[in-house]
Amino acid sequence: MAATMIATQRPQWFDPATGVLDRRIFADAEIYRQELTHIFGRGWNFMCHESQLPDSGSFFMNYIGEDQVIVVRDRSRKINVLLNSCPHRGNTVCRAEQGRTNSFLCSYHGWNYDLDGRLVAIPGQEAFYRNDVDKSQWGLGTAAQVESYRGFVFATLDPTAPPLEDYLGWVGKLGLDMLAAQGDLEVLDGIHKNRLQCNWKLAVDNLYDWYHVKISHGSAIRVGFVEEAGMAPLNQMVILGEYGHGIGGPGVTEAELAELEARVVHGAPGEPQWYDLFAKRRLDPRMRKELGPVGSRSLGHPNIFPNLWVSLTNQLCLRLPRGPFETELWWFTLVPKDIPAEARREAIYMANHVFGPAGLLEQDDGENWSHSTRGAKGSHSRTLPLNYAMGRGHDRVQHDPSGQSCIETVVNEHGQRWTYQSWQEWMQADSWQELIANHSLPPAEVV
Amino acid sequence: MAACNDSSRQDHGLQRLSLQERMLLGFEVEQFLYHEASLLDDRKLDEWLALCTDDIYYWMPIRRTTTAKEIDNEFTKPGGMAYFDDDKKTLALRVQRLQVGRAWAEDPPSRTRHVVTNVRVVGVDGNDVTVASNFMLYRTRLNSEEDSWIGRREDVLRRDNGAFKLARRSIYLDQTVILAQNMSNLF
Repeated sequence: MAATMIATQRPQWFDPATGVLDRRIFADAEIYRQELTHIFGRGWNFMCHESQLPDSGSFFMNYIGEDQVIVVRDRSRKINVLLNSCPHRGNTVCRAEQGRTNSFLCSYHGWNYDLDGRLVAIPGQEAFYRNDVDKSQWGLGTAAQVESYRGFVFATLDPTAPPLEDYLGWVGKLGLDMLAAQGDLEVLDGIHKNRLQCNWKLAVDNLYDWYHVKISHGSAIRVGFVEEAGMAPLNQMVILGEYGHGIGGPGVTEAELAELEARVVHGAPGEPQWYDLFAKRRLDPRMRKELGPVGSRSLGHPNIFPNLWVSLTNQLCLRLPRGPFETELWWFTLVPKDIPAEARREAIYMANHVFGPAGLLEQDDGENWSHSTRGAKGSHSRTLPLNYAMGRGHDRVQHDPSGQSCIETVVNEHGQRWTYQSWQEWMQADSWQELIANHSLPPAEVV
Repeated sequence: MAACNDSSRQDHGLQRLSLQERMLLGFEVEQFLYHEASLLDDRKLDEWLALCTDDIYYWMPIRRTTTAKEIDNEFTKPGGMAYFDDDKKTLALRVQRLQVGRAWAEDPPSRTRHVVTNVRVVGVDGNDVTVASNFMLYRTRLNSEEDSWIGRREDVLRRDNGAFKLARRSIYLDQTVILAQNMSNLF
């Protein structure tokens, strides 16, 4: 069986030709350790939005893999990503999730670090160290590269990683543009955080999954919290990008957008549609131009590989690994700074009630993923492959003259397959150089 | 001060009551809270919902770990991001959701136990009685899964035709990152 074949050099966990996946990738400690270096250590990880760091000294705590990092704006207003570990004994130098500070003072012996990570003071430098310590050599570890794309701050631990915009490519950028093109954004105060007993990849793969909605979220549909037509539409659009980025979910046609514009903007008669709220944001000509002819018709879920979901609810969700069997979900909610008070309150209501641990939809997701993770642990069950084959070979990539491309189809598993194919290539590569040389380009014809 | 400490205010309405009046009021309040908790634990959610006023605001802010210096920013503010930010209509949706099938988080149903303690009447204003309490909510489901939440509630109970109704509930959890796969239950 292809999925369980272990090659001598390059393990094959996923076979793109059959859509069959070796479920051990959800439960193997050695694979998890390799993910921390090959994926999280190498990729560009989302840190925060610039609006979360308004002042010099503003900081936000985040993670790259399992390395805790402090994202902080320094006195020159530059954003730094510092490893939260004192080079003297390894202790943390910051213990708050967010806040504002003038420096980071280690609570163990008082080594003190400036906002750029430089070691500025050592108690007893003269009396105990006899001035025999070079402070310039003992600053906090830093991310190798920190860059922002339209206010979204990312960091990588790998100095050889390509620039952020090259990494994102047109698909990753399009995903973030769906938010950024709405205007000057701010992250609202308060990030939902909760911990699930699941492998992080199962949380990621679910964001492309429009197959589960009618079943997993059946109760929310039955009480009318979400419309069935909206939650499991037949017209699906998938956009796949280099290095594993993707966008998957509903798509609307030009005719549907025109009907919406006639009805909502010009008052023509017609029934409200499930996509009105989200598609309305796409009617602005500036927005349409920015997202392009294909992008502006996608109402799907972008994922910035590996673990940043851009949600239609104007939220970002990080799926942070906490060991092979645990994942934290962090929900950031964004609105344009100049949004009217009533619309702001509506955005908050939606963010507070759809997702997050008490969200009327998300409540029902976690147990599925934790039990899928459990299903990868059994000595027999873990030898049985998983089926990710829905729609494989039945669709074709369409190329728009603008250069954008997409797959227009029914509910499918193209996004999940692309995620695991890309994940496998990241895991097989020993360096960025190797990944750049050997990674697959997104499918261009039959998919 | 942080919203969490509102109850430290001493209310003049309360000070006007005699010891006997405060004892009677305290008893009534405790019995209401115990009854209400039993409805939740017995899954009599329609009866529980009927104990809420039509203008109830049911709120659980997001709590963050902050430095001691910035502790005033520990909780998000009302009207902003929150775990629960519910009016009666939204609470009704939560209750109905559990009754229509395919609410997998509660099917099979969890078993919960609300332990309500340290009940203090902290304010009286006309028909409204402000009550602070501590709670522990233990949840177990399937055969081996356990969650527990400890926290503090501040409720406004309103007298309505002689009986109390719940007009406002603010829930201040002691966890920052919620160490559970969901919060499919009520607090």
